[in-house]
Amino acid sequence: MGRSTTSKDAQALFHSFYSAYAATPTNLKIIDLYMLFAVLTAVIQVVYMAIVGSFPFNSFLSGVLSCVGTAVLAVCLRIQVNKENKEFKDLPPERAFADFALCNLVLHLVIMNFLG
Amino acid sequence: MSGRKSITISLLILNLLSFLPLLTISFSPDQPTDRRILVLLDDLALKSSHSIFFTSLQSRGFDLDFKLADDPSIAVKRYGQYLYDGLILFSPSTDRLGGSLDLEGVLDFVDSGHDLILAADVSASDLIRSIAAECGVDFDEDASAMVIDHTGYAVSQLEGDHTLVAADDFVQSDIILGNTKIEAPVLFKGTGHSLNPDNSLVLKVLSASSSAYSSNPASKLSNPPSLTGSAISLVSVVQARNNARIIISGSLDLFSNRLFRSGVQKAGSSYKFEKSGNEQFVTELSKWVFHERGHLKAVNLKHNKVGGTDEPSMYRINDDLEFSVEIYEWTGTSWVPYVANDVQVQFYMMSPYVLKTLSTDQKGLYHTSFKVPDVYGVFQFKVEYQRLGYTSLSLSKQIPVRPFRHNEYERFITTAFPYYGASFSTMAGFFIFSIVYLYNK
Repeated sequence: MGRSTTSKDAQALFHSFYSAYAATPTNLKIIDLYMLFAVLTAVIQVVYMAIVGSFPFNSFLSGVLSCVGTAVLAVCLRIQVNKENKEFKDLPPERAFADFALCNLVLHLVIMNFLG
Repeated sequence: MSGRKSITISLLILNLLSFLPLLTISFSPDQPTDRRILVLLDDLALKSSHSIFFTSLQSRGFDLDFKLADDPSIAVKRYGQYLYDGLILFSPSTDRLGGSLDLEGVLDFVDSGHDLILAADVSASDLIRSIAAECGVDFDEDASAMVIDHTGYAVSQLEGDHTLVAADDFVQSDIILGNTKIEAPVLFKGTGHSLNPDNSLVLKVLSASSSAYSSNPASKLSNPPSLTGSAISLVSVVQARNNARIIISGSLDLFSNRLFRSGVQKAGSSYKFEKSGNEQFVTELSKWVFHERGHLKAVNLKHNKVGGTDEPSMYRINDDLEFSVEIYEWTGTSWVPYVANDVQVQFYMMSPYVLKTLSTDQKGLYHTSFKVPDVYGVFQFKVEYQRLGYTSLSLSKQIPVRPFRHNEYERFITTAFPYYGASFSTMAGFFIFSIVYLYNK
């Protein structure tokens, strides 16, 4: 009882998560890495804004939106491409990637306009 | 043939003659000094008993038209145009004015921008007192009251009831009373009046000393007098908002030859002045009231962007602009530049966003430059200038101010570089990701 069991449980949790994750296909791992990069960039921008202040607020929003938008689109792509997902069984992965590319195009158009 | 020719010529000459009255010089914005003055008297003997005053006016170029106050041919207005530029009412005991002039007529005359000298006296009629009341001056309710001063009276062998007062409490204004200080006291014998302290247009030019009071000298004083001390004004002026000027005096004798010529010795002082200050006082006041002095005009209100010369129809926020206006003063014969260091301009929209004192180049040009505030809307350049004795200037010019256009904002702001970097890095990341994802075996 007490700390040792909970820490052991936490460690066991980490191990099971790590081993389960190792089993995912490579393309999903690439998407996860991409998402991690986008979230990290967003966090860096928010920390910078907290230090410096929000002067060109539109630029700040544009930068954060680009990171959040890519993360969201990457999540959508991952959901649609994951073979274990029953909902999108009939969706060809090429179609999913084409949607992803077009949405990213629109996203970057928007952030370039809003960047100021 | 020749008969018809002569008829046409004579008709032509008659037509031209009818235009002559319009050609006579009168008050105009270019020459603001009054020209034609109507003088209404109780008694034609006043013409000779006040002759020094009237001849001094005539020698300065005024056209005096003397009439008895109840003359039925009095007309100040004909076909909507005023025939006179100024009115002198030396008729304190007249109950009704003759002709078409009455209380309404006198007030309309003043309201249309013309000047008035009003002299009341002991037992002034209700008409004169109500004209004064409409101008902001309240005479003592007891019509037979006179100003009595037992310590400031003028020493003389004859009148012993101290109603002839020697007053030297003048208003401090070089514009109203002239540059030369009036050394001798002014002799005054008549009623006193008081001014409403809330009225900002009326001004005491000659006040009674603090030991004066207003009461009937013939009757015994049963209750304390209502008007006492330096609240009693002997002569007041009014400068109306339309720049009409009015002098209201409680004594007709103030203007008379007798008091002009007499010497004065104030009770309590041993010095006897050879000549009272009346003539200088009255002359300087008449110069002021008939616009020979202290009349300003402001022309050429201009504004432009710094670096440009023409007036834009609209400014943008945070623009730099320059503003200038020219102010001239009338000397009685010509316009000279007005020099002062307290003329201000406001950039006004419901409240002044910018208030700047204009700097002068000593030749009548006042200029300044400032930055348009960070607020957009419809602004006005406002110059409001009210100084004691001068005509009031009130100019305004409207100008809209617009916000930034879409392409006028700052670009490539240094503090935003991380955000630019982040956006471009996500674009690059997208490219790299799609290559890696698609070509991953």
